[in-house]
Amino acid sequence: MEPIITTTGLRKSFRSKRGPVEAVRGVSIVVGRGEIFGFLGPNGAGKTTTLRMLTTLLPIDSGSATVAGLDVGRAPKEVRARIGYVSQLGGADELATGRENLVLQGRLYGDSLATVTARAERLMAALDLADFADRKVRTYSGGQRRRLDIAMGIVHEPEVLFLDEPSTGLDPQNRANLWVQIEALRTRGTTVFLTTHYLEEADVLCDRLVIMDHGEIVAEGTPRDLKREVAGDAVVIVVHGGHEVARRAGRILEHEPSVREATVEDDVLRLYVEDGATALPVLLRLLDAERIELRTINLSEPTLDDVFLRQTGRSLRDGGPAGTETAA
Amino acid sequence: MKVATDIGLLYKRYTRQMLRNPIWLFVGFSTPVLYLALFTPLLKQVTRAPSTGVALELFLPGIMSLMAFASGSSAGFSTIFELQGGVIERFRVTPTSRFAILIGPILSGLSMMLVFDLVVVLVGIGFGFDAHWSGLAVLAVLLCLLATTFAAFSVATAISTKEISAFAAVINGINLPLLLLAGVLLPISSQTAPEWMQVLAHFNPLYYLVVAARALAVDAYGRPEVWQAFAVLAPTCAAMLAWATRIFRRAVA
Repeated sequence: MEPIITTTGLRKSFRSKRGPVEAVRGVSIVVGRGEIFGFLGPNGAGKTTTLRMLTTLLPIDSGSATVAGLDVGRAPKEVRARIGYVSQLGGADELATGRENLVLQGRLYGDSLATVTARAERLMAALDLADFADRKVRTYSGGQRRRLDIAMGIVHEPEVLFLDEPSTGLDPQNRANLWVQIEALRTRGTTVFLTTHYLEEADVLCDRLVIMDHGEIVAEGTPRDLKREVAGDAVVIVVHGGHEVARRAGRILEHEPSVREATVEDDVLRLYVEDGATALPVLLRLLDAERIELRTINLSEPTLDDVFLRQTGRSLRDGGPAGTETAA
Repeated sequence: MKVATDIGLLYKRYTRQMLRNPIWLFVGFSTPVLYLALFTPLLKQVTRAPSTGVALELFLPGIMSLMAFASGSSAGFSTIFELQGGVIERFRVTPTSRFAILIGPILSGLSMMLVFDLVVVLVGIGFGFDAHWSGLAVLAVLLCLLATTFAAFSVATAISTKEISAFAAVINGINLPLLLLAGVLLPISSQTAPEWMQVLAHFNPLYYLVVAARALAVDAYGRPEVWQAFAVLAPTCAAMLAWATRIFRRAVA
């Protein structure tokens, strides 16, 4: 793996009324050329702050970062020429057309009008923007705007593209569409560095990711390895009879050799087992013998949320299903 | 050179944005024309000017100074909107010169102001104003110096306050005393104003513009007000631009 982004002990704190807040506390990562690399974590975990340091928008307090072989602190101008950045806001001119936005953006990187015009044409075709290229951005839908934002981020053919929460505010269909477009960047050889608080996005899209919480990295790896570390499958049992019964069930089952971990919350018993399919009948027989009645039982492969839960003791879903998450 | 290209690109972008906002243009055109139509008759009575043309020699330069001041000090409003829309941030991650991000919109605002000035002069001629074009050309330079001074201040204030209410409070708080102490509508002179007011006015860059504008409107280049205005406005403008560039570099590093 040829590294294209490296950071060592990256730190950033902000002043607030209640004293300094450490937003990023010693982040060290290596991103390889051509990877889609993700920062997953809840709002306020320090993802965006890290991204803003890497894109020269925020000065680095301590530690160091190199992007495309250049020191971000010492050579910000050279770094800017090699990266693209799409913020949560996008920042396209609403009163200009998609084409005008693309051409201006390309020209600001110093490329000639002819070069930029040709590139804009190709990009609009590739990102399904051609049909409304000459319409004002004000009239674009959310998904169309996001695709234009991304086109503007890569119009100068950067080595690395930084995406801050790219799918926030998009409906599921547009989100899936966007994932396809981001995947396609990989085939162009562009390295993509993205932040997200959507588990599915990190899981589907990222080659590797780090999970961040309170300014620190709590886990790092490929989605598959991270989930495998959680050990086997998750069995979620909801019992009749409330918390006490759930705890009794937990005490019975945690001695079972196939069970690696058992946690109880209200009337929910959550178990991690090595192999769900073989463990489940055994567990059911044990519960039946103790006359514990079940309301529901659910066997699932672990998700990145299980990884997060394991590392932090909290769920990334904030109690609700992912579909109900609102824009940050 | 990259800086010149960047300035050109951002100048064109900003001008395009303004031209596509017709309401904005309408307000820009109608305000000075309304002043001319509704204030000149009063002024003619109050100053006992023999004709509307003579009243306009006093008032038209004031209106043009007012427009330069207003166009400059309102420059930061669009900066606030662009900050909030992520536009400034989008420019910042490109290798675009920071000075170009500051000056491009300011230059575009100057062009727009000069067009409005021309309209005002033409309307004034319609009312009987005797236009001395060479004097007005020199005045145009002074108008640009003043507008740039306040535009730089306004944009720097917008960058530091980042939100509309704090920005508007600062700008409004500064605008009113500066306007009143400049003699834009009624001249501040030894006949009209108490001495303390005349002294205070000399700390106001807008005052120098207004008195020089009145001299230039009648082609009186030789009057000391003209060189004094250049002596005050040119360094003030340079200092304000330097300060704003510094604020800009630091706040949006």
